[in-house]
Amino acid sequence: MPPEVAVKPGRHREASLYHALHGAGAGDGRSLAQLRESALRAFEDSELPVWRRSGFWTTSFAELDEGLLVPGGGAPRAHDAGVPQFVADAIPERARAGRIVQLDDAIVHVELDPRLAERGVILCSLEQAAEQHGELFTQWYSKRLTIDRHKLEAANAAFWTGGAFLHVPDGVLVEDPFEIVYAISGPGVAQYGRTLVIGGRSSDFKVHEHDLAADFGEAGGQSLHAGAFELYLQDNARCRLAQVQDWSAAESDCARPEVFDASTRFVGVGRDAYCHWLPALLGGHLVRHHLELAVSEPGGDMAFRGLFFCEADEHLDTFAVDLHETGPSGGDVHWRGAATGQSRTSFEGLIQIDPGAQKTHTYLQIHTMMLSPKARLDAIPSVLVSADDVSASHGGTVGELDEASIFYMASRGLDRPTAVRLLVEGFFEPVLGQLDDEPLEELVRGKIAAKLAAAREDIEAYATAR
Amino acid sequence: MADLEITNLHVRTEDREILRGVDLTIDKGEIHALMGPNGSGKSTLANTLLGHPSYEVTEGKIVFKGEDITEAEPHERAKSGLFLAFQYPVSIPGVSVANFLRMAINAKREEPIRVKEFGQQLQHAIELLDVDRAFTSRHLNDGFSGGEKKRAEILQMAMLSPDVAILDETDSGLDIDALRTVAEGVQRLHDEQGLGALIITHYQRILHYVKPQFVHILMDGRIVLEGGVELVERLEREGYDQIRQEVSASAA
Repeated sequence: MPPEVAVKPGRHREASLYHALHGAGAGDGRSLAQLRESALRAFEDSELPVWRRSGFWTTSFAELDEGLLVPGGGAPRAHDAGVPQFVADAIPERARAGRIVQLDDAIVHVELDPRLAERGVILCSLEQAAEQHGELFTQWYSKRLTIDRHKLEAANAAFWTGGAFLHVPDGVLVEDPFEIVYAISGPGVAQYGRTLVIGGRSSDFKVHEHDLAADFGEAGGQSLHAGAFELYLQDNARCRLAQVQDWSAAESDCARPEVFDASTRFVGVGRDAYCHWLPALLGGHLVRHHLELAVSEPGGDMAFRGLFFCEADEHLDTFAVDLHETGPSGGDVHWRGAATGQSRTSFEGLIQIDPGAQKTHTYLQIHTMMLSPKARLDAIPSVLVSADDVSASHGGTVGELDEASIFYMASRGLDRPTAVRLLVEGFFEPVLGQLDDEPLEELVRGKIAAKLAAAREDIEAYATAR
Repeated sequence: MADLEITNLHVRTEDREILRGVDLTIDKGEIHALMGPNGSGKSTLANTLLGHPSYEVTEGKIVFKGEDITEAEPHERAKSGLFLAFQYPVSIPGVSVANFLRMAINAKREEPIRVKEFGQQLQHAIELLDVDRAFTSRHLNDGFSGGEKKRAEILQMAMLSPDVAILDETDSGLDIDALRTVAEGVQRLHDEQGLGALIITHYQRILHYVKPQFVHILMDGRIVLEGGVELVERLEREGYDQIRQEVSASAA
């Protein structure tokens, strides 16, 4: 009998959750049924999570309706096969290597370039992978992800359905991106998104994830996305991973969707492998992300970019970890974010260099821009170094709109909203441009422009107040 | 009626009155020089003409092409044909010179400019101002040298074809070659497009390359002397102090 997964009730209340996952996950060769069983116990023994950074912020999921959490408790199953219209409308048409779409709790669409299928690429639901690709699944599933740190993580591990599985075999190079979509159709949904991606030796590919919700109707209401994402790159593999998350984008005169999102994402970079990871976190009622990029074997290298835009009454709590478990390794972390409305943004960036990760060189920078007098934004960089032959540093800026720049542009005939948009786009450009993908860049630019237009009065008020 | 008519303009910033009754008229096709010592109010006048929010007009008015623009928004003034070449142009990271120019041109038009037409205009301006083609794909003023910034200002002026341009100490910080290029650019826009210009300068240098028809001397927020190009030569000989003494003697 494998050992029980230790469950420590109340542990989720500690600030210690701002620690790297660090170390083995729950997988450890156990069967999916065993893992679900352990996770269920952790789920039952814990309360809705609260994250605290003493003196800075509290991120509490206490207002989430617990009735949503258990499957069958009101969550409608998605029966319609095919890509829902609101997804088709929101994500630009483009060349893709493959696409998998989960609506609420079920996969509704899978497509894969047949030429890639011939070369051994697998793209299917994670449910299907557990049944049909047992060896790969058992080797990698939850290899580095835990299942019991908090109630929502446990809920995901216990209850997930659908899910996305991608395996790019050794030596396979793919030009167009694989697209993974998690979509929520309306209020009352608990979506336990679970993604496992494995990049074989010397493979080279791109993954784009889109997270979005439909119009929630006049009544509005809550939904939950509790996500778990893991990506492992074996020797010499290369991956560009991008995510466009915006749960609040649906155009509507109705109530804003209240999507709660508590997700953990882990990317493990193997020997001489490389990952370029760029999450664009653009909306959600209450969002808590643990994002961890770990260089696990010598020669691994990574670029960790991110951008966020928090508006209205949203709360975004991001913990981004740049973990170096061995050296030599490289890291380059660069985040940019802006805030409007009465939004609350909490960002912590951690560089952690383990003992033995000698000859690691990494840099963390976080730049923020305040666009509203009522928004609050905290960014904390931290460095935890346990090796002596390394370089690790961090920097950052906190900015506002520069009135001199706005006057300059006005003197060329550009009105204030246009000037503000150019400034904010320019602010994001050093990260945005690194998406290195025209349709995705346009999508994100469009979203930023829409958020600025929505916050126009706010931005005016802020300028006048200064 | 003149294109730009400034009447009895009084301007203050937060703490003090800087312009104390300025009268000035500029027509399209005329080149005016506005000279004066540091602190006399030259840059205040330039910024006020474009509607900088830090400067408050307390008396008098600015009329441009028959419209009272004293309270108009800065971008409206620009769209009606005024232009300011800044003394210290700010950098706009993330926006290329070419993209910025296209946006500025389109702001003045109903229909967006066609790619080909824009390309031709840009090519013409590039040749006129002797700048490198690669220059236009760089982010506007971001990491530009002093000379490059000033060329970028004149490039924008050439592309936007204003009726009246105000050049705020465009000559400061330029080496002699850059100064000649910039000045010749202004002269050619005047000759080719009938540009009216108010060249604000502390020194006489630029006026060796651009010939003003009218020269105004600003001191302590008022225009104290006006004349033709001979005033520049006199200033070169005598300096501001001498003129200040004469003015205060005649006022006494």
